Amino acid sequence: MTKQEQITKLLETLKRSLPEVREAMVASPDGLPIATLGSQDTAARIAAMAATALGLGRRIAQTTHLGNMKEVVVRGDQGYFVIYQAGEKGVLGVTVPADANLGLLHLEAREVARALAAIL
Amino acid sequence: MNAPLKIVVTGPVGAGKSTLIRTLANGGYVDTDARATEAIGKATTTVAMDHAVMDIEGATLHVFGTPGQERFDYMWEILAEGALGTLLLVRADQPADLPKARQILEFILSRSEVPYVIGVTHLDAEEAWAPQEIALFLNADPALAVGFDPRDPKDAIRPFVRLLDALNGRK
Repeated sequence: MTKQEQITKLLETLKRSLPEVREAMVASPDGLPIATLGSQDTAARIAAMAATALGLGRRIAQTTHLGNMKEVVVRGDQGYFVIYQAGEKGVLGVTVPADANLGLLHLEAREVARALAAIL
Repeated sequence: MNAPLKIVVTGPVGAGKSTLIRTLANGGYVDTDARATEAIGKATTTVAMDHAVMDIEGATLHVFGTPGQERFDYMWEILAEGALGTLLLVRADQPADLPKARQILEFILSRSEVPYVIGVTHLDAEEAWAPQEIALFLNADPALAVGFDPRDPKDAIRPFVRLLDALNGRK
Protein backbone atom coordinates (compact mmCIF):
# COMPACT_ATOMS: atom_id res chain seq x y z
CA MET A 1 0.00 0.00 0.00
CA THR A 2 1.37 3.44 -0.88
CA LYS A 3 1.61 6.16 1.77
CA GLN A 4 -1.30 7.92 0.10
CA GLU A 5 -3.49 4.81 0.31
CA GLN A 6 -2.56 4.25 3.96
CA ILE A 7 -3.48 7.84 4.79
CA THR A 8 -6.79 7.70 2.93
CA LYS A 9 -7.56 4.42 4.69
CA LEU A 10 -6.93 6.05 8.09
CA LEU A 11 -9.34 8.87 7.20
CA GLU A 12 -11.95 6.34 6.12
CA THR A 13 -11.50 4.44 9.39
CA LEU A 14 -12.09 7.69 11.29
CA LYS A 15 -15.25 8.33 9.29
CA ARG A 16 -16.49 4.78 9.89
CA SER A 17 -16.01 4.99 13.64
CA LEU A 18 -17.57 8.47 13.79
CA PRO A 19 -20.21 8.74 11.05
CA GLU A 20 -20.94 12.38 11.92
CA VAL A 21 -17.52 13.36 10.55
CA ARG A 22 -18.36 15.62 7.61
CA GLU A 23 -14.89 16.18 6.21
CA ALA A 24 -11.44 14.95 7.15
CA MET A 25 -8.17 16.00 5.57
CA VAL A 26 -4.45 15.69 5.98
CA ALA A 27 -2.07 18.49 5.01
CA SER A 28 1.63 19.17 5.29
CA PRO A 29 2.68 21.70 7.99
CA ASP A 30 3.48 24.15 5.17
CA GLY A 31 -0.09 24.00 3.93
CA LEU A 32 -0.26 21.57 1.01
CA PRO A 33 -3.08 19.04 0.77
CA ILE A 34 -2.00 15.41 1.17
CA ALA A 35 -5.35 13.62 1.34
CA THR A 36 -8.99 14.57 1.81
CA LEU A 37 -12.34 12.87 2.27
CA GLY A 38 -14.14 16.13 1.65
CA SER A 39 -14.62 18.40 -1.32
CA GLN A 40 -11.62 18.64 -3.69
CA ASP A 41 -12.63 22.23 -4.56
CA THR A 42 -11.80 23.58 -1.15
CA ALA A 43 -9.06 21.07 -0.20
CA ALA A 44 -6.15 23.36 -1.09
CA ARG A 45 -7.58 26.31 0.79
CA ILE A 46 -8.47 24.33 3.88
CA ALA A 47 -5.03 22.69 3.90
CA ALA A 48 -3.39 26.14 3.84
CA MET A 49 -5.64 27.47 6.60
CA ALA A 50 -5.17 24.38 8.79
CA ALA A 51 -1.40 24.87 8.54
CA THR A 52 -1.79 28.56 9.41
CA ALA A 53 -3.96 27.82 12.44
CA LEU A 54 -1.61 25.13 13.67
CA GLY A 55 1.53 27.20 13.03
CA LEU A 56 0.06 30.12 14.93
CA GLY A 57 -1.28 27.78 17.64
CA ARG A 58 2.21 26.40 18.13
CA ARG A 59 3.60 29.89 18.76
CA ILE A 60 0.72 30.76 21.10
CA ALA A 61 1.33 27.55 23.06
CA GLN A 62 5.01 28.45 23.33
CA THR A 63 4.47 32.07 24.29
CA THR A 64 1.88 31.23 26.93
CA HIS A 65 3.91 28.28 28.27
CA LEU A 66 1.43 25.57 27.32
CA GLY A 67 4.13 23.17 26.17
CA ASN A 68 3.88 21.34 22.88
CA MET A 69 0.91 22.29 20.76
CA LYS A 70 -1.56 19.45 20.26
CA GLU A 71 -4.68 20.81 18.61
CA VAL A 72 -6.71 23.86 17.66
CA VAL A 73 -10.51 23.89 17.94
CA VAL A 74 -12.64 26.25 15.85
CA ARG A 75 -16.24 26.23 17.03
CA GLY A 76 -18.98 27.78 14.92
CA ASP A 77 -22.68 27.71 15.72
CA GLN A 78 -23.10 24.97 13.13
CA GLY A 79 -20.11 22.83 13.89
CA TYR A 80 -16.48 22.34 14.76
CA PHE A 81 -13.29 22.24 12.75
CA VAL A 82 -10.58 20.61 14.84
CA ILE A 83 -6.96 20.60 13.74
CA TYR A 84 -4.61 18.01 15.23
CA GLN A 85 -0.85 17.94 15.01
CA ALA A 86 0.14 14.63 13.42
CA GLY A 87 3.84 14.45 14.24
CA GLU A 88 6.34 16.77 12.61
CA LYS A 89 5.11 16.27 9.07
CA GLY A 90 1.37 16.32 9.15
CA VAL A 91 -1.77 18.16 10.12
CA LEU A 92 -5.15 16.43 10.50
CA GLY A 93 -8.30 18.53 10.09
CA VAL A 94 -11.77 17.21 10.90
CA THR A 95 -15.18 18.87 10.54
CA VAL A 96 -18.15 17.71 12.63
CA PRO A 97 -21.61 19.22 13.24
CA ALA A 98 -22.37 21.22 16.40
CA ASP A 99 -24.16 18.32 18.10
CA ALA A 100 -21.25 15.90 17.67
CA ASN A 101 -19.61 14.38 20.72
CA LEU A 102 -16.35 16.32 20.85
CA GLY A 103 -14.84 14.01 23.47
CA LEU A 104 -15.40 11.02 21.25
CA LEU A 105 -13.95 12.91 18.27
CA HIS A 106 -10.81 13.73 20.25
CA LEU A 107 -10.46 10.11 21.32
CA GLU A 108 -10.66 8.79 17.75
CA ALA A 109 -8.88 11.62 15.96
CA ARG A 110 -5.90 11.69 18.33
CA GLU A 111 -5.43 8.00 17.64
CA VAL A 112 -5.56 8.67 13.89
CA ALA A 113 -3.11 11.57 14.30
CA ARG A 114 -0.66 9.22 16.05
CA ALA A 115 -1.01 6.67 13.27
CA LEU A 116 -0.52 9.40 10.64
CA ALA A 117 2.63 10.61 12.39
CA ALA A 118 4.07 7.10 12.05
CA ILE A 119 3.28 6.96 8.31
CA LEU A 120 4.36 10.47 7.22
CA MET B 1 4.96 60.19 17.70
CA ASN B 2 4.73 57.70 20.57
CA ALA B 3 1.47 56.01 19.66
CA PRO B 4 2.17 52.51 18.36
CA LEU B 5 2.16 52.31 14.60
CA LYS B 6 0.97 49.14 12.93
CA ILE B 7 2.96 48.33 9.80
CA VAL B 8 2.51 45.37 7.44
CA VAL B 9 5.45 43.82 5.63
CA THR B 10 4.35 41.88 2.59
CA GLY B 11 5.61 40.61 -0.77
CA PRO B 12 6.24 37.42 -2.73
CA VAL B 13 7.98 34.33 -1.36
CA GLY B 14 11.70 34.63 -0.65
CA ALA B 15 11.84 38.44 -0.67
CA GLY B 16 13.26 38.56 2.87
CA LYS B 17 10.20 39.51 4.95
CA SER B 18 10.94 37.17 7.86
CA THR B 19 14.66 37.95 7.73
CA LEU B 20 13.99 41.69 7.90
CA ILE B 21 11.63 41.39 10.87
CA ARG B 22 14.03 39.08 12.70
CA THR B 23 16.93 41.48 12.08
CA LEU B 24 15.15 44.48 13.57
CA ALA B 25 13.15 42.82 16.36
CA ASN B 26 13.55 44.66 19.61
CA GLY B 27 13.58 41.63 21.90
CA GLY B 28 10.58 39.35 21.39
CA TYR B 29 10.02 37.95 17.97
CA VAL B 30 7.29 35.64 16.68
CA ASP B 31 7.68 33.53 13.58
CA THR B 32 5.55 30.73 12.16
CA ASP B 33 8.07 28.95 9.96
CA ALA B 34 7.20 25.51 8.67
CA ARG B 35 9.56 23.27 6.75
CA ALA B 36 8.92 23.77 3.03
CA THR B 37 7.89 20.65 1.16
CA GLU B 38 8.23 22.26 -2.27
CA ALA B 39 11.22 23.77 -4.06
CA ILE B 40 10.85 27.46 -3.22
CA GLY B 41 14.55 28.22 -2.92
CA LYS B 42 14.66 28.03 0.88
CA ALA B 43 14.17 25.53 3.68
CA THR B 44 11.26 27.09 5.55
CA THR B 45 8.21 29.18 4.79
CA THR B 46 5.94 31.44 6.87
CA VAL B 47 2.48 29.91 7.30
CA ALA B 48 0.74 32.53 9.46
CA MET B 49 2.67 35.65 10.38
CA ASP B 50 5.83 37.22 11.73
CA HIS B 51 5.61 39.81 14.44
CA ALA B 52 8.02 42.11 16.21
CA VAL B 53 8.09 45.48 17.90
CA MET B 54 10.76 47.88 16.66
CA ASP B 55 11.95 51.27 17.83
CA ILE B 56 12.93 53.34 14.83
CA GLU B 57 13.70 57.06 14.99
CA GLY B 58 11.71 57.51 18.19
CA ALA B 59 8.66 55.71 16.79
CA THR B 60 7.41 52.35 18.07
CA LEU B 61 6.48 50.15 15.16
CA HIS B 62 4.38 47.03 15.59
CA VAL B 63 5.37 45.10 12.51
CA PHE B 64 3.34 42.23 11.08
CA GLY B 65 4.81 40.13 8.27
CA THR B 66 2.55 38.16 5.93
CA PRO B 67 3.28 34.77 4.38
CA GLY B 68 4.65 35.05 0.83
CA GLN B 69 3.09 32.00 -0.77
CA GLU B 70 -0.13 32.60 -2.63
CA ARG B 71 -2.11 29.88 -0.88
CA PHE B 72 -1.91 31.94 2.32
CA ASP B 73 -3.38 35.04 0.67
CA TYR B 74 -6.25 35.24 3.18
CA MET B 75 -3.65 36.35 5.73
CA TRP B 76 -3.01 39.60 3.82
CA GLU B 77 -6.46 40.86 4.70
CA ILE B 78 -6.32 39.65 8.30
CA LEU B 79 -2.93 41.24 8.97
CA ALA B 80 -3.54 44.44 7.00
CA GLU B 81 -6.57 45.33 9.16
CA GLY B 82 -5.82 48.63 10.87
CA ALA B 83 -2.32 48.99 9.42
CA LEU B 84 -1.12 52.56 8.90
CA GLY B 85 1.56 51.73 6.37
CA THR B 86 2.76 48.92 4.14
CA LEU B 87 6.25 47.83 3.21
CA LEU B 88 6.23 45.74 0.03
CA LEU B 89 9.38 43.66 -0.35
CA VAL B 90 10.50 42.36 -3.74
CA ARG B 91 13.62 40.62 -4.97
CA ALA B 92 15.66 42.60 -7.49
CA ASP B 93 16.57 39.42 -9.37
CA GLN B 94 13.14 37.83 -9.83
CA PRO B 95 11.19 39.94 -12.36
CA ALA B 96 8.76 37.02 -12.75
CA ASP B 97 7.52 37.78 -9.20
CA LEU B 98 6.67 41.42 -9.99
CA PRO B 99 3.10 40.88 -11.24
CA LYS B 100 2.47 38.94 -8.03
CA ALA B 101 3.97 41.80 -5.99
CA ARG B 102 1.74 44.29 -7.79
CA GLN B 103 -1.30 42.13 -7.09
CA ILE B 104 -0.49 41.97 -3.35
CA LEU B 105 0.05 45.74 -3.20
CA GLU B 106 -3.17 46.49 -5.09
CA PHE B 107 -5.10 44.17 -2.83
CA ILE B 108 -3.86 45.86 0.33
CA LEU B 109 -4.32 49.38 -1.03
CA SER B 110 -7.84 48.52 -2.20
CA ARG B 111 -8.77 47.76 1.43
CA SER B 112 -7.29 50.96 2.77
CA GLU B 113 -5.20 53.50 0.94
CA VAL B 114 -2.19 53.65 3.28
CA PRO B 115 1.27 55.02 2.50
CA TYR B 116 3.67 52.38 1.23
CA VAL B 117 7.31 51.88 0.40
CA ILE B 118 8.86 49.30 -1.93
CA GLY B 119 11.85 47.58 -0.37
CA VAL B 120 14.12 45.90 -2.91
CA THR B 121 16.34 43.02 -1.76
CA HIS B 122 18.94 40.72 -3.36
CA LEU B 123 20.57 43.66 -5.13
CA ASP B 124 23.90 41.82 -5.12
CA ALA B 125 22.52 39.22 -7.57
CA GLU B 126 23.91 39.28 -11.09
CA GLU B 127 20.61 39.93 -12.86
CA ALA B 128 19.37 42.48 -10.35
CA TRP B 129 17.09 45.27 -11.53
CA ALA B 130 17.57 48.76 -10.11
CA PRO B 131 15.03 49.66 -7.37
CA GLN B 132 13.70 52.52 -9.54
CA GLU B 133 13.08 50.15 -12.48
CA ILE B 134 11.11 47.91 -10.16
CA ALA B 135 9.02 50.84 -8.91
CA LEU B 136 8.22 51.83 -12.50
CA PHE B 137 7.19 48.28 -13.33
CA LEU B 138 4.87 48.37 -10.30
CA ASN B 139 3.37 51.70 -11.44
CA ALA B 140 4.80 53.36 -8.36
CA ASP B 141 6.74 56.55 -7.77
CA PRO B 142 10.46 55.63 -8.10
CA ALA B 143 11.12 57.77 -5.02
CA LEU B 144 9.25 55.12 -3.00
CA ALA B 145 11.77 52.39 -3.84
CA VAL B 146 14.54 51.63 -1.35
CA GLY B 147 17.24 49.06 -2.05
CA PHE B 148 18.62 47.43 1.10
CA ASP B 149 19.99 44.29 2.74
CA PRO B 150 17.49 42.80 5.23
CA ARG B 151 20.28 40.92 7.04
CA ASP B 152 22.18 44.06 8.03
CA PRO B 153 20.62 45.90 11.01
CA LYS B 154 21.96 49.30 9.90
CA ASP B 155 20.67 48.89 6.36
CA ALA B 156 17.43 47.15 7.32
CA ILE B 157 15.97 50.23 9.05
CA ARG B 158 16.15 52.30 5.84
CA PRO B 159 12.83 51.23 4.28
CA PHE B 160 11.12 51.85 7.64
CA VAL B 161 12.68 55.32 7.91
CA ARG B 162 11.42 56.00 4.39
CA LEU B 163 7.96 54.75 5.37
CA LEU B 164 7.94 56.95 8.49
CA ASP B 165 8.74 59.91 6.24
CA ALA B 166 5.81 58.99 4.01
CA LEU B 167 3.55 58.63 7.05
CA ASN B 168 4.62 62.05 8.26
CA GLY B 169 3.90 63.56 4.87
CA ARG B 170 7.55 64.11 4.01
CA LYS B 171 8.33 63.06 0.48
